[in-house]
Amino acid sequence: MLSQLFANGIVSGCLYALMALGFVLIYNTTRIFHIAHGAVFTASAYIFYFFLIVLHVSAWLALLLTLFLAAGIGMAIEHFVYQPLERKNSSLLIALLSSLGLYTVIVNLIAMFFGNETKVLRPGIEKTYQFGDIILTRIQILEVVAFVILFPLIMFVLKATFWGKAVRAVRDNQQLAMVMGIRIHQIRYSVFALGSALAAVAAMLQSLDVGMDPHVGMPILLVAAVAVIIGGVGTFHGAVLGAFLIAILQSLVIWKISARWIDAVTFTLLIIFLVFRPEGILGKRKRVEEALAQ
Amino acid sequence: MNYLLHILIMINIYAILTLSLNIVVGYSGLLSLCQAAFYGIGAYITTLLMMKAGMAFLPAMGLAIIGVILLSYLIALPSLRLKGDYFVLATLGFQIIIFVILYNWVSVTRGPYGIPGIPNPEIFGLTINNLPGYFIFSLILALICGFLMSLLLHSPFGRALKTVREDELAAAALGKNVPRLKTQAFVIGAAFAAVPGALFAMYFRYIDPTSFTLMESIFILSIIIIGGTGNIKGPIAGSIFLVLLPEVLRFLQIPDAIAANMRQIIYGLTLVVLLQHRPQGLFGEYRFE
Repeated sequence: MLSQLFANGIVSGCLYALMALGFVLIYNTTRIFHIAHGAVFTASAYIFYFFLIVLHVSAWLALLLTLFLAAGIGMAIEHFVYQPLERKNSSLLIALLSSLGLYTVIVNLIAMFFGNETKVLRPGIEKTYQFGDIILTRIQILEVVAFVILFPLIMFVLKATFWGKAVRAVRDNQQLAMVMGIRIHQIRYSVFALGSALAAVAAMLQSLDVGMDPHVGMPILLVAAVAVIIGGVGTFHGAVLGAFLIAILQSLVIWKISARWIDAVTFTLLIIFLVFRPEGILGKRKRVEEALAQ
Repeated sequence: MNYLLHILIMINIYAILTLSLNIVVGYSGLLSLCQAAFYGIGAYITTLLMMKAGMAFLPAMGLAIIGVILLSYLIALPSLRLKGDYFVLATLGFQIIIFVILYNWVSVTRGPYGIPGIPNPEIFGLTINNLPGYFIFSLILALICGFLMSLLLHSPFGRALKTVREDELAAAALGKNVPRLKTQAFVIGAAFAAVPGALFAMYFRYIDPTSFTLMESIFILSIIIIGGTGNIKGPIAGSIFLVLLPEVLRFLQIPDAIAANMRQIIYGLTLVVLLQHRPQGLFGEYRFE
């Protein structure tokens, strides 16, 4: 029983981690609290649904098209909303508010075209596999596989490639990165593309598992944001750690209390961290001068 | 005529609510996402005191205001130590926690079933049980709240708040206690939100937690950003826009199935476009720096 709960926690942790990784890539590079990331998640789920169920495209093609379109949406948001704000030197709170507005627009557009009811991609019962006393469905295994492939890949790209170094440079000090000849705008576009594609992966997996409705984006976005804060802003793997921590805590809450109190527990954890350790588990405490310089 | 009165009552309710958030957002520069929680707690405490303890409307609302003051103080203590995104996220967290409590504490709030059959309010021997009565009642409350807020915001306290909003360091250098001023603004804003909550419960005579969600908080915040913050007329203009837009869509014969989504899309787009070109909102004085 306990190991099954733990396994369920790990599986949903994989989904949260993919979402959190996309969110933190964007947050670390742009400092924008990208709430519309949740809308990108929802949009990806519906795009996948549209290709797979409405147009009867093959699964692999639908997957590729969804990834590209999600990346496109992310880049469009950067191009039409965040970049003009950046050029006007608007504050980050304005970007956050714009992001809230965008979230509302995208989610309601989806609801208008596809309706408010829950849509499922695959009716019927999933095939299950048994490992010892743990039972997992095929899609749950797929979720773990996606995470196990993508997370090391992204960490490697961030560590070893020029692009990864540039992203980390922009994270550490945007002005200095600019002085060193890094093209900030290209980096920002690419980060929005990659982050949104990661949201799309999470969205496709989750909708294969439990289906979708127009409001699926907000809860997972909030979990991702909390994971980023808990894990430590400024790092990339911290977000993943935070995601697993929340997921395992949630499955404990379901076991010990009730599924209805999940959100309250997640956000209580957030507030405890904000008060006692705002830099997160892996974050470094900054000196005042450093914090002011950013 | 009834239709017009209903619209005017809604404008009164939302005017008090947006004005209350204006104290927090427009005068203190704090982006709070838990105003709907205070609004909801105001509605629930008033209703429960009237129905379970048999209290009259005014004392029940008074106690609701006191309850919200205590609660908002508890929320302010940890939240106000945070800045920028973190403050927004902390208030968002409290909003969700309070919603989950309202939704799941079934023995007290009846959770998702809601509380039906709220009695008509009785004030100084007068029972309010028809639309004109509710209109006058809501108008009087709105005028009282508006008057109190404008007194407060034009007082030295209001000016001190504006100083904190514009430049915290300068305010501190002038000897202003910045954390205390922010806490006071946050708590006063929350206290005023309890009044429209009570009014909402009295008018609809039914409440359930879905009226006080995170989306409602986001919505109220968008409305005052659209109308403009930092003065009295901005939030009122925002509330009028908010209440009238669905009615305009109704006259344009847009089918009900998409009207709700259409409305949200218009609010969202207005917000995004305004922030690009006029970040202080339509009639506002203050823009986030």
